[in-house]
Amino acid sequence: MSGKSSWIPYLQVTPLVLVLLLFFVVPIALVVIVSFFRYQMLTGLTPAFTFASYLDFLSNPTTWWLYFSTLKFTLIVLVLTFVIGFWIAYFLVFHVRSLIIAMGLFLVCTVPFWTSDIIRMIAWRPVLGREGLINDALVSSGVVSHPLSWLLYSNFSVILAYVYLDTLFMIVPIFNSMARIDRALLEVAVDAGASRWAAIRDIVLPLSKTGIALGALFVVTLVMGDFFVINVMSGGLAGSAMTGMANDLQVLNYPRAAANAVILLVIVLLIASGIFRLVDVRRELVR
Amino acid sequence: MTETLLTATRTAARPAARASGEIRLIDVTKSFSPGSYAVREINLTIPDGCYCCLLGPSGCGKTTILRMIAGHETPTAGEISIGGHSVLGLPPGRRGTAMMFQSYALFPHLSVLDNVAFYLKMRGIRRDERRRQARAMLERVQLDHLRDRMPAQLSGGQQQRVALARSLITNPRVLLLDEPLSALDEFLRLRMRGELKSLQTELGITFVHVTHTQPEAIALADLVVVMETGQIEQAASAAAIFDRPATPYVARFMGGQNVLTGRVMQLADARPRLESSEGWIFELPAAPAPPAGATVSVAIRRDRVALSRHDSRGNSVPPNAIAGSVEATEYQGSYFKVTLNVGMKHAFVANVSDTAFAAEPVAAGDVVLASWRAEHVHVLSRPDLGDAGVPYLDTTE
Repeated sequence: MSGKSSWIPYLQVTPLVLVLLLFFVVPIALVVIVSFFRYQMLTGLTPAFTFASYLDFLSNPTTWWLYFSTLKFTLIVLVLTFVIGFWIAYFLVFHVRSLIIAMGLFLVCTVPFWTSDIIRMIAWRPVLGREGLINDALVSSGVVSHPLSWLLYSNFSVILAYVYLDTLFMIVPIFNSMARIDRALLEVAVDAGASRWAAIRDIVLPLSKTGIALGALFVVTLVMGDFFVINVMSGGLAGSAMTGMANDLQVLNYPRAAANAVILLVIVLLIASGIFRLVDVRRELVR
Repeated sequence: MTETLLTATRTAARPAARASGEIRLIDVTKSFSPGSYAVREINLTIPDGCYCCLLGPSGCGKTTILRMIAGHETPTAGEISIGGHSVLGLPPGRRGTAMMFQSYALFPHLSVLDNVAFYLKMRGIRRDERRRQARAMLERVQLDHLRDRMPAQLSGGQQQRVALARSLITNPRVLLLDEPLSALDEFLRLRMRGELKSLQTELGITFVHVTHTQPEAIALADLVVVMETGQIEQAASAAAIFDRPATPYVARFMGGQNVLTGRVMQLADARPRLESSEGWIFELPAAPAPPAGATVSVAIRRDRVALSRHDSRGNSVPPNAIAGSVEATEYQGSYFKVTLNVGMKHAFVANVSDTAFAAEPVAAGDVVLASWRAEHVHVLSRPDLGDAGVPYLDTTE
């Protein structure tokens, strides 16, 4: 009996272990290994253990500029998606009385996700372009004399697209943690004489922090790992950490792209661990 | 423990000149959807310093009344005043009331100390000052050693004390308690019940306590308000409710009573009598005499009923008695609860003292005569239509 039962747990975890090994550990290990390979313009890759790619990568001023740009976008988008996502979730949870309507509105939030990122990004162009909907309306109504050029292919359009794409990832976890707040807690706050703002500050916000942390994690990874949105919406004028990686891949400089990937991974992990340090998500989830 | 809770609040929760906590509800109606009423045209005055229990089955509107007094619901019509001033339109925080919620609703992210200090924080009192006051309150309820704990780390009884301390810290003139004891186990419930009562006596403020448990209401309340389907069936002292229920519903709901119904027969020279459809004869008190022919229900306390063996052959049943066979006897410590099958919808119950039972024991299957004295018959204000609620609980504990 005991001999039989001792290997059964291992058997039970085997499928998951295999999946994780094959699709998670092996690819990352490959990236790490390749990042130490030697690259020469004409001969290509040679297996080696050299920090040349890392030195090359870090000594390039463009790297620093791209990373700074990525972090800047991440921070701005994080703030905007938090503010918008928190209020939408708050509205859905505490102001929509009917659960059915709340669920309906929640589904409406997901409607844009029924089509691909690419189409949704392209769709912004006729809205924001020089002869787009907004500029046409502004010019014809006489608000501005010339079309606004900063609406498209600018930091503005990049941030707009990020917020548009990523706010849902903030709404869902915040909605989830807000929905678990006992309504009686808000009534106690009202009983104590709390204003709506005080109740939000002292009750809703602290009790939603798990959702906020998870949402922030989603947004950070999405924005830091983005290559496509920034390319399309900035018209190639702005770049992200991934832009450098894409350029390296085009010239087959895999080691430098891999070094870039490892560094990006480390930075995202540091941010994630920072978030988890602020909020004990695991403890909060079992609460 | 009771002592500590008392000394606790002696100094803490009694301001120099306390505002009156008299609550008046005038024609209060609350409707959540057109055509249906949670409560309807309620008129009730709860005197200052009264321990009032709103008693009724779930869905009878008792919690709605509590929440309207607190200001968490607005009446559809009617007037609510506390201490002689209308509180309609005032937010809960400015009514001088404090509410203790059913699940205690302690803030899970705040320590015990910060939970207790919360009401003071919302009133804009400085951090060190409110913490000092909260600590003083916790010391007095002997929970100071737990001040840094989170609510999830407390037992049910401790959570309740924290919730109580939290609501009392602002010196309310009215404390509203929504089923405060329902989450506790039997032992703690009895202990906390005693503490609540002594706390109220000591503080002298008005307590309004919602419960669906009759013994709780009887043990605690100066004023018991029995409710059903949004209306008040009877509001009176616990003794009056128990001894002289107004309606068949109250008699059944409070337990301890047998409800009998019959038609009034008026004989020229005798007391008015009631004849039931089974042919039993019950004498009524001389006054007030109901009109002949009217259908009237009476209540007879279970412990006023005497049992004697009855030979059904040839012996007719005298007035003020009813014959039946014993269905069950249950020993209750100080008395025996004897359930009789008398051929009516509801069983007839006699609570026989242990000495009386020892003198003439009965067992299941015996045919007995249950009799009572005419002065123990209590006439109810309306006839039992048979659909009045069955007792939720026996008053036996």
